[in-house]
Amino acid sequence: MSNYHEVTSPSHFQQLLSSDLNRVSVLNFWAEWAEPCKQMNAVTVELANKYPSVLFLQIEAEAQSDISESFDIESVPSLILLRGHTLLQRISGADAPALTTAVAKFASSPSINPLSRTDLPPAKASNAVIEVADPSEDLESRMTRLMNQSKVVLFMKGSPDAPRCGFSRRMTGLLRDQKVDFTHFDILSDEGVRQGLKKRNDWPTFPQLIVNGEFVGGLDIVQEMVENGEFVETLAV
Amino acid sequence: MINLADLEAAIRTALPVSHLEIEDQSSGCGESYAIVLVSEAFDGKNTLSRHRFVNDLLKAQIAQMHAFSQKTFTPKQYEDYLAKQC
Repeated sequence: MSNYHEVTSPSHFQQLLSSDLNRVSVLNFWAEWAEPCKQMNAVTVELANKYPSVLFLQIEAEAQSDISESFDIESVPSLILLRGHTLLQRISGADAPALTTAVAKFASSPSINPLSRTDLPPAKASNAVIEVADPSEDLESRMTRLMNQSKVVLFMKGSPDAPRCGFSRRMTGLLRDQKVDFTHFDILSDEGVRQGLKKRNDWPTFPQLIVNGEFVGGLDIVQEMVENGEFVETLAV
Repeated sequence: MINLADLEAAIRTALPVSHLEIEDQSSGCGESYAIVLVSEAFDGKNTLSRHRFVNDLLKAQIAQMHAFSQKTFTPKQYEDYLAKQC
């Protein structure tokens, strides 16, 4: 019977488990001298026959003390149900009905099914600069640092690949059309920066484009600057 | 809700206007406006300062709108812009 094994060592144990991490396994910790184990051993053999997709491992508790310890086995018989390395259930004592119910339940539940599939390649890495929060930094310094995190910084709602407002989306499109390298900051993620920047730059809305640490404008302004040639000049500095 | 005529009057009293277009983008509800404003007062001002100027001038009205957008030109710039449109 290929789904029923007597475990001979920790590496044997690992090898058996790892051969299919989607599979349910029943670990039966037993001892020769414990009478109730005879019953459970018989039950596991029966269940192994009935559920060929479930792995049944007989583990002589004292001989395999490393394995027993790793599962905190304190008495025999003890049964551990796993799916891969995930613990599903523990059964202490010769509780045949509990084991039978448990195996029936877990053997029939589906193995891991993806919630969605895609053929697309992974998305390009985000341009957001990773921040380390420094509690001693006050808001003004923080805003100054953010505005200078790269030559061109776009303060927007959402991110360039997932904008959360039409104006932010159009600004991102415009910058990409103009082939401008920029980093961004999602003002929806930080209310302090959001309100602080409105005051600091004396501008009531987002998106806000910053070049060389200075406020340049919102969507309308940047659009106009592109059309009248001012944008190229601003970037050339 | 802002009346188009009031908006126009506010602009014309504040600066010399060569050309002005006001479009109500909220289909007559007076809640969203887009303007095109040509004025020699914009000469020498960069885009940001022009927009700030207009925002400031129309602060009270803009506060009552959902959205406001503007395009600004000096008379010369507007001529060039029209030429490009053809």
